[in-house]
Amino acid sequence: MSGNFAIWAASLAFLSALVAVTRASVAHVLIWLLAMLLSLAACFFALGASFAGAAQVLIYAGAILAVFVFVVMTVDASPPAQETERARLGKAWIAPALVAVLLLAPLAGLTADPTTPQGRAVPATELGALLFGPWALAVEIASGLLLAALMGARHLGRRGRPEGRR
Amino acid sequence: MSDTAFTGLILLAGALFAVGCFGVLARRAILVQLLSLEIALSGPALAFIVAGARHGQAAGQGMFVLILVLAAAEVALGLALYLRLRRRSDVTDSDTLRELRH
Amino acid sequence: MFGIVWTTDLLLLTIPSIALTGFMLLGLDPLRLRAFEIRVLAILGGVGPLIPMLVFATECFHGSCIGAVPIFTLVVGESTVALALQLDPLSALVGLTVSIIGAAVILYSVAYMAGTALGDLRRFFALMHLFLAAMLTMVLAGDSIVLFLGWEMMGLCSYLLIAYNTTSAQAIRAGRKAFIMTRFADAMLLAALLLLFLEANSVRLDALIPAGVAAQDGMRPIIAALLLGGAIGKSAQLPLHTWLPSAMAGPTPVSALLHSATMVAAGAVLLIRFAPILAAEPLLQALTAILGAATALFGAASALVQQDVKRLLAYSSISQIGTMMLSIGVGAPQAAAAHFVVHAIFKSLLFLAAGDIAHHSPQGTALAALRGARQRKPLAFLAFLAGAASLAGLPVITAGWWSKEAMLAAVWSAGPILWVVALATAVLTAAYATRAALVAAQPAPAAEAAQDDSSDTGYTLFPLAFLGFGALLAGGLVNPIIRFLGGDMPHAPAFTLAVAAIAPIAGAVLALALAPGAADTPMPAARTGGRRASVVDRVLRVLVIQPFVRLVRWVNGQDGGVEDPVGTGPARLVVWLRRTLAGPTAPDRADRLYKRAFVLPFLQLVRRLNGYGSGVVDPLGNLPARAVLRLQRALADALAPDWIDRWWRRIGAALLSIWTSARRLQTGRVRDHGLAMVAGTAGLLLLAWGYSWH
Repeated sequence: MSGNFAIWAASLAFLSALVAVTRASVAHVLIWLLAMLLSLAACFFALGASFAGAAQVLIYAGAILAVFVFVVMTVDASPPAQETERARLGKAWIAPALVAVLLLAPLAGLTADPTTPQGRAVPATELGALLFGPWALAVEIASGLLLAALMGARHLGRRGRPEGRR
Repeated sequence: MSDTAFTGLILLAGALFAVGCFGVLARRAILVQLLSLEIALSGPALAFIVAGARHGQAAGQGMFVLILVLAAAEVALGLALYLRLRRRSDVTDSDTLRELRH
Repeated sequence: MFGIVWTTDLLLLTIPSIALTGFMLLGLDPLRLRAFEIRVLAILGGVGPLIPMLVFATECFHGSCIGAVPIFTLVVGESTVALALQLDPLSALVGLTVSIIGAAVILYSVAYMAGTALGDLRRFFALMHLFLAAMLTMVLAGDSIVLFLGWEMMGLCSYLLIAYNTTSAQAIRAGRKAFIMTRFADAMLLAALLLLFLEANSVRLDALIPAGVAAQDGMRPIIAALLLGGAIGKSAQLPLHTWLPSAMAGPTPVSALLHSATMVAAGAVLLIRFAPILAAEPLLQALTAILGAATALFGAASALVQQDVKRLLAYSSISQIGTMMLSIGVGAPQAAAAHFVVHAIFKSLLFLAAGDIAHHSPQGTALAALRGARQRKPLAFLAFLAGAASLAGLPVITAGWWSKEAMLAAVWSAGPILWVVALATAVLTAAYATRAALVAAQPAPAAEAAQDDSSDTGYTLFPLAFLGFGALLAGGLVNPIIRFLGGDMPHAPAFTLAVAAIAPIAGAVLALALAPGAADTPMPAARTGGRRASVVDRVLRVLVIQPFVRLVRWVNGQDGGVEDPVGTGPARLVVWLRRTLAGPTAPDRADRLYKRAFVLPFLQLVRRLNGYGSGVVDPLGNLPARAVLRLQRALADALAPDWIDRWWRRIGAALLSIWTSARRLQTGRVRDHGLAMVAGTAGLLLLAWGYSWH
């Protein structure tokens, strides 16, 4: 039952993603992306990964998309601008589509190994024990990455002296 | 949960990645390309969660957390770069940015 | 998997961490700091590492070095990545020296940099802290990764500090030059460390060095040669020496730290650390010794004729590190380590004293700026004299003599030719040290004597006094240091000792003979007339200047100045040396050679490959097509063209057009390159899938 729900949710996510990348208006892309992220979160819940689902809603849909919304506000979304975007799409989508399908081809013969014992839902405590025990180094590196991104974004985003001068 | 369902979920994860790749390659608006990267990243995230659920191990969700961090860092830098580009010259089309080629 | 076991040994981490924290607080923290707070932080971060270092080193000197302290260990298959710090006798000794010199230099720069703008001041101290932390990290490293990290960080800091004055194009050029030239060394060191890792399957130094010694298959000479290359570049030895004299564009405290205890000395420390591997390769050991000896002689001869005090000291560093290399090459790394300590003390002293004397001088850092030091800065002058005496190696009373004696004795046992070279170096060293001291002893021209702006504060006095006493008295440490590092005090026949003791004096006499005018100038006390000579003046006159003057008069014949038999020979030598080593173009000669030999051809190649100049876009890609066209022209045009020839020709033309259209793939657009990447990935996946498809 829950397996079927997970499949439906993931299919919904896939369809939303497909729609998202073909919209001309950035605002529409954003809305469809939100739909995709939320249906993925539902899929995670159905798979028993409740922590991941919550994180998906809070961080992805909550924080990351919110930042995008702020930036989208600065974009020209008038109908002429949408027209140019549509015109830009043109026929340039054929090669990327072919390549994307090619990427999928090796998955065609995929089968699950029935000898592997079935898993169970993983409680969040186990995840915590993993992250702050054996994976502490990875978490530290990730925090370093975030710090570097923070500093980099601050540096790039500051309104400094005009370009071309130091 | 049946193994067929798991196989289908992994296929969908691959499809999400492919759609994301398609978006990055086919679109010219920088912002849409960044959003497509998010889609592409969520493909592997789904795959890790599915595999973690199948094997009953916490490592799947652990990897998801790391992907989340990666996505956040990428968005922060990507958007900062985008705003910087906008400020320098009103660029929204990634095809016009080809000054690295001599 | 890893887990940190908390022990008191982990406090070893605090030594570099304190300086690193200083860097972060000063360099990264967005808070606005006032000058006072910057000064406090600078002193805390600079002197802080000394305290734990003293504790650990004392423990180590009493015989209980804590050895390697694992930080974390990651097992990957059969190899282990084990980050560790290490406190063995060598790292205790060098670490203590580095932190003492670092503390002294940073204390001094608080006064030296007092007039700088706040932002620059912060940047300066932040970088100095990072520099210090990097050297301490490298010295205390217990594995090759941490070692390389410190080594690289030092290279970065030296670049940033040499180019500290960002408004001066010359300083930026000098920084870039230092960075690029030491990059060669870094690459070689990296290669050596990676090869050692392959041999040992571990990154820990206590496993790497034995594995390197036991390496087979002709690997050992390669590793040893790469290590030597790394040390040569960082230590500015021949033929990679040119960056150091230009590096003088940085502020004086930077030079003091860069030359004495860090960066330049790091190459020597590296070779002392890896001496067992070098010792297993007699050929490379000999090469080290010969390069060291050549550098020592060259550096000393160049220093003799410099007109700029900082350049003089730079060549002196090159020469002194050369003698250390020589000592390592003849199998006496312990003597080299002892000289490292002594050299660190007197070289930082010389820089600090010279900087103090010439600070705000209108002549900049020209040798002439030292004149009048005795009246303006008596203590700095005394300190400079102590440093110069130690550099010259005046027998018994200076520390420099003891360590030099130990090295000379070790060199004697290796071979008389090297010994003679080392002796000649000692003579020249004494000569240029005396020359600098003589200039400092001269009175300033009346116009300049009046302006005496800054008074000395405790920040400058304490480091100068401390290092000055060290430069004279640290000689007693040489023997214990060599013992402590597990070596024997080298012994040499008595006559060589005597000759070596005469060498510095001979050098001093040589300097006096070459510069008769310098010593003949009237006593400053007499010139200033009414002013009462201070005690310092009187002591100096009786002990130093009058004997020198008498000696010079004696050497020059009673009158002094007129045709003297001894003076003309050496004077001619100096004129020749000056023309070859210090003429208007001389410092750049090696640079120009390198530019012509390496840089320009490389640029030419890049330009050719990019299609500049030849009028052909992408010549590399066009090459096969053009070759085919030329071939068919050569073959087919010789005969009467028939239809086969025409087809044959079309192949050549087709290749060219295929290339032109293939080149359109390189658009410089993100999407297109991304497409190529994804297509490649898809292809690889398909390939892997095909292979797994039974």
